[in-house]
Amino acid sequence: MEVRQYAENALTIYMGDDIDEEVNRRLVELKKKIESLDIAGLGEIVISYTSLIIYFDIFKTDAGTIEGKLRDINTDALLEGGFEYRVVEIPVCYGGEYGPDIENFEENGLSADEVIDMHSGKEYLVYMLGFMPGFPYLGGLDEKLHKARLETPRVRIPAGSVGIGGKQTGMYPFESPGGWNLLGRTPVPLYDPGRAEPILYQAGDRIVYRAIDEGEYEDIKAEIEAGRYEVKIESGSDG
Amino acid sequence: MMALKVMNPGLFTTVQDMGRYGHQAEGFSPAGAMDWRAMMLANRLLGNDEGAAVLEMTLHGASFEVTKDVTIATAGAEMPVAVDGREMKTATVMPLMKGEQISFGGAERGARTYLAVAGGFTVPEVFGSASTHTRSGIGGFGGRTLESGDRLKAAGGNGASGTGRIRVFDDGDDVIRVIPGQQYDRFKENLDTFYGSGYRLTKDCDRMGFRLDGEVIEAAGGHDVLSEPTQLGSIQIPKNGKPIILLNDRQTAGGYARIATVALCDIPKLVQKRQGDTIRFEEIGVDRAAELYKAEIGKIRSDEYFEIDNDFKSHRRPLAGKIESIMKR
Repeated sequence: MEVRQYAENALTIYMGDDIDEEVNRRLVELKKKIESLDIAGLGEIVISYTSLIIYFDIFKTDAGTIEGKLRDINTDALLEGGFEYRVVEIPVCYGGEYGPDIENFEENGLSADEVIDMHSGKEYLVYMLGFMPGFPYLGGLDEKLHKARLETPRVRIPAGSVGIGGKQTGMYPFESPGGWNLLGRTPVPLYDPGRAEPILYQAGDRIVYRAIDEGEYEDIKAEIEAGRYEVKIESGSDG
Repeated sequence: MMALKVMNPGLFTTVQDMGRYGHQAEGFSPAGAMDWRAMMLANRLLGNDEGAAVLEMTLHGASFEVTKDVTIATAGAEMPVAVDGREMKTATVMPLMKGEQISFGGAERGARTYLAVAGGFTVPEVFGSASTHTRSGIGGFGGRTLESGDRLKAAGGNGASGTGRIRVFDDGDDVIRVIPGQQYDRFKENLDTFYGSGYRLTKDCDRMGFRLDGEVIEAAGGHDVLSEPTQLGSIQIPKNGKPIILLNDRQTAGGYARIATVALCDIPKLVQKRQGDTIRFEEIGVDRAAELYKAEIGKIRSDEYFEIDNDFKSHRRPLAGKIESIMKR
């Protein structure tokens, strides 16, 4: 654990220097641990690939006080006990108008059906969120699906689009310009201010894409509009 | 209560408060008033909570029709303001009467003017904040800049006595103090360039960040890093060697090497700079930066920025306005 300070009201803790599932797990556990300490003046904690930032109110506490509390944490014991996370199922209609770039994988020797088989039905780890609200940085994409971004980025990618950019897969909660290869789209709003949890996942959780056809896409969309649809979220654990 | 109807929205006018904190881990940009000091001063003039929702007007201000008697106050960039065509003083409290029209012009000094209203503007809060983040369409007035015809509500209340005004203070020098950043070591060989030469604000300066132009700064070991959380004032040096300062509407994660972080106490000065202005960076330690920030907040809270305005004639009071208009007949 390496503690650094780059702003008056924040401490940064480094736990590694590469994208690594175990580093992510340690960061998630460390965040929980720090939050459980009930430190006066503690603000939000933001996880990234190798570090987390702890914000604090400099009128209620200071960097030294928080560092002192951090030293009491046994970081070697962070991975003892089970690791609990959530598995969030995102239904995706692959191909067609929703996933116009799925055919491009023929260059990689993969048919659209093969791409769908490889991309759906497996757990992707949410390392962190950023870029835009609810945008997950996911790990676990099959190497055969790695694909460079489009040479000419699209001016408009619709919200809910699921795609691949380089070694990463992910989805756009908001409409945005972007150069990712689009595989499909989910009818589930990835940000919904009216939902109990406006964003469905956080760092350390897993996402599973389930392939659906256009009929089911429309059905889910109708259920969402009627306020009846519930996203399938299961709890997972290991360790 | 409806207080103001937008006649002309100005260049880029949004509802802002202290910012939306607590959700950066989910990717929500904090947004919030860029010149936090001006926002606090405008609110304090009215006796509001210092973080009550205000309007942030950029470079060219807005015009409004007053739909209910209301008291306002302004702070920040100097924008000429007229009520029914009569020029009024800025940086002070101003009672307005139903039916009047108030219009702000182009900023003569600074870039951002804050308009506070007694009780604060009321918009639906998102995660406890009224701040607008236009890029995601979240918060403020419909998640967007104001448009003609928008009707703004205010919480109301009496406001302050109306005799205070903001003392003229000089914030005009070009020194921006910074704290060493995450990849400071990569720039060790080039610190003379970073601290020794000035950097000019380009046309690409907005609420998300300021792109600067000037001497190229090279990084030993590359300009890319794994995506990490960004902080207010993070100074990134991308491959082209030109600094980008990340500000309120920034993305919450970034992948460029960061040489330094702008000290919180100098954010108000920085965000009042405009295209073509040159700034110089000066290094300070993080503890010193924390002291300076606390001192600045203390100065605001003890009303050191205020002075009593005894200039009755030039000060706006509803009665004075009425008498004047009667005498004109």
